[in-house]
Amino acid sequence: MTNEPISDNVLLQVRDLKKHFPITGGLFRKTVGYVKAVDGVSFYIKKGETLGLVGESGCGKTTTGRTVLRLLEPTGGEIIFNDPDLGPVHIEQLHRSEMQIVRPRMQIMFQDPFSSLDPRMTLERLVAEPLRINKVMHGQALRNRVGELLELVGLRHEYMTRYPHAFSGGQRQRIGIARALALNPRLVICDEPVSALDVSIQAQVLNLLEDLQARFDLTYLFIAHDLSVVEHISDRVAVMYVGFLVEMATTDELYYHPKHPYTEALMAAIPKPNPRMRTRPIKLPGEVASPANPPSGCYFHPRCRYAQDICSEERPSLRDIGGEHWVACHFAEELELAGLEAQQAM
Amino acid sequence: MENNDDIVLRVEGLYTYFHTTLGTVRALNGVSYTVPRGKVLGIVGESGCGKSVTSLSIMQLVPPPGKIEQGKIWFRAARRGGEWIEITQLDRHSEEMHQLRGDEISMIFQEPMTSLNPVFTIGQQIGETVQLHQGVDREEARQRSIDVLEQVAMPNPERIVDNYPHQLSGGMRQRAMIAMALSCTPTMLIADEPTTALDVTTEAQILDLMRELQADIGMSIMFITHNLGVIAQMCDEVAVMYLGQIVERAPVDNLFFNPKHPYTTALLKSIPHIGSRSRDRLASIRGMVPDPYSTVPGCPFHPRCDSFMPGICDADMPEITPVEPEHYVRCYLYE
Repeated sequence: MTNEPISDNVLLQVRDLKKHFPITGGLFRKTVGYVKAVDGVSFYIKKGETLGLVGESGCGKTTTGRTVLRLLEPTGGEIIFNDPDLGPVHIEQLHRSEMQIVRPRMQIMFQDPFSSLDPRMTLERLVAEPLRINKVMHGQALRNRVGELLELVGLRHEYMTRYPHAFSGGQRQRIGIARALALNPRLVICDEPVSALDVSIQAQVLNLLEDLQARFDLTYLFIAHDLSVVEHISDRVAVMYVGFLVEMATTDELYYHPKHPYTEALMAAIPKPNPRMRTRPIKLPGEVASPANPPSGCYFHPRCRYAQDICSEERPSLRDIGGEHWVACHFAEELELAGLEAQQAM
Repeated sequence: MENNDDIVLRVEGLYTYFHTTLGTVRALNGVSYTVPRGKVLGIVGESGCGKSVTSLSIMQLVPPPGKIEQGKIWFRAARRGGEWIEITQLDRHSEEMHQLRGDEISMIFQEPMTSLNPVFTIGQQIGETVQLHQGVDREEARQRSIDVLEQVAMPNPERIVDNYPHQLSGGMRQRAMIAMALSCTPTMLIADEPTTALDVTTEAQILDLMRELQADIGMSIMFITHNLGVIAQMCDEVAVMYLGQIVERAPVDNLFFNPKHPYTTALLKSIPHIGSRSRDRLASIRGMVPDPYSTVPGCPFHPRCDSFMPGICDADMPEITPVEPEHYVRCYLYE
């Protein structure tokens, strides 16, 4: 993506983001290589929209989310947070003390509702913690705000003195949502928020996230591996493969008219909940490339059935092929790829 | 026992309880069903509904303090000329039970890493099953291992046969597990969430493989999952479980296009239907699955049901009734 100034309706612009983890070995723990978990990721999220970030395990989705918040220090690239009150802020250049100003505006909710809550804190303390740390309020005002937040996420006031073990998975995820929303954030990074939940509970949490988004004008980066859930909740979707974004488009464009061969394979692989739509998967030979030792050229080329000579030589960059459809493939314009087939509702 | 050729397994009125210090967990509350020959029966339900305990009961592998309290399980053993064996009469440690497990009925578990032994090679683990049940020597068992690895489309089987589980990726481990389960060409395969831990492209390939093998070998599969998408792609018939009971049983097309039980309907409405291009709100099921130590009077689903009829649904358990040929529902709306 070019270095043009950020437009007003974009809340977060990420350019060429990199996060490399050193691999150490030997007696003196010398650095012998790098795991390039995130390797040149660029995307933007507009105000009030949901950008879905999908990809298979180990592709760097979660690392991307955490690096954007600087829970992990980026190795390179730009993260520009365009807060309406603060103006565009280069997150990657901020000093630790300056991070405190933007932290309340960017929050995260985690996948595992069982390990992300301190078992020794009551519900009241858990939800009050972000308010207390940021010295937003105290005393009666704090208690009122906690009550308000609990009501917002559908938890009863009587539960205030209970500990996390007394809550079910769905309720714990609601606690995580209350904590993330406590400081009135603009951007919420949802890292697999419903993967650990049963389907009936998953629907409750997804509906809650949608309601809260409409009510507080929230912007979501929704990280998930479940393509059906992402299709349901996202306005636009970005697909990652081995630390790199291979495609980004509006949800319908991406699902029905994919332009990258990896996205095509993902779409064919979704187990559709319709016995009249039984599909054969596209065979991807070999295994997902290792981010410590990626192949030359396009990282997907050893598994791609359309690969040609140039694919092993030159790494394609992510480019706009029109209509906000971004693809990293040399042959994006030429290939005729199959997307989902529209079906009538049941 | 009736002599119905189309059935390989019959479960009748099965009650499996876990007597813990905190109380009794009624994991199975009178489950009855049959597994058709050469078909895939899907068992679907949310966590804690008893799907896995059903399969463990068949294998007599329910871990203590769990116990089969009541009910009967019959299995038609192909190796014995189609004789009906009453599994519930056998001791779990008996020679007969050992004969059944792995040879006649095999099982694939969710997590291939914890079900493979890390200190033996893939070949040794597959070979063990073959040596045990078919009485062949080590050299032949190794050859047979390579053959089945080839059958499950494992790349480079001659090399993989000498690899240890940690050297394989998740998808390859699950292929190795399937190879092990198929090594003795079982009459029935129980697959307990076999693809849940896998990525979507790997999952699709494993499901495709299982469908192909099923058509080739003609075995019966009991496919346990919580994923309705996988059910739609894999199964011929489906049983929906809720709180230790089968609430609906139907051919797969009927279940998705003409569901009867309020729980099935609600479950289908609560998942995002990919390809429907609708951004409508999902219909969630209110409340949650009750705590496992409690007992719900009447129909177990009544506290969460939109069609709840006071005085009827909370009084007695409804009977399972046919609404159409091969379509059964346990609900007062249809009695």
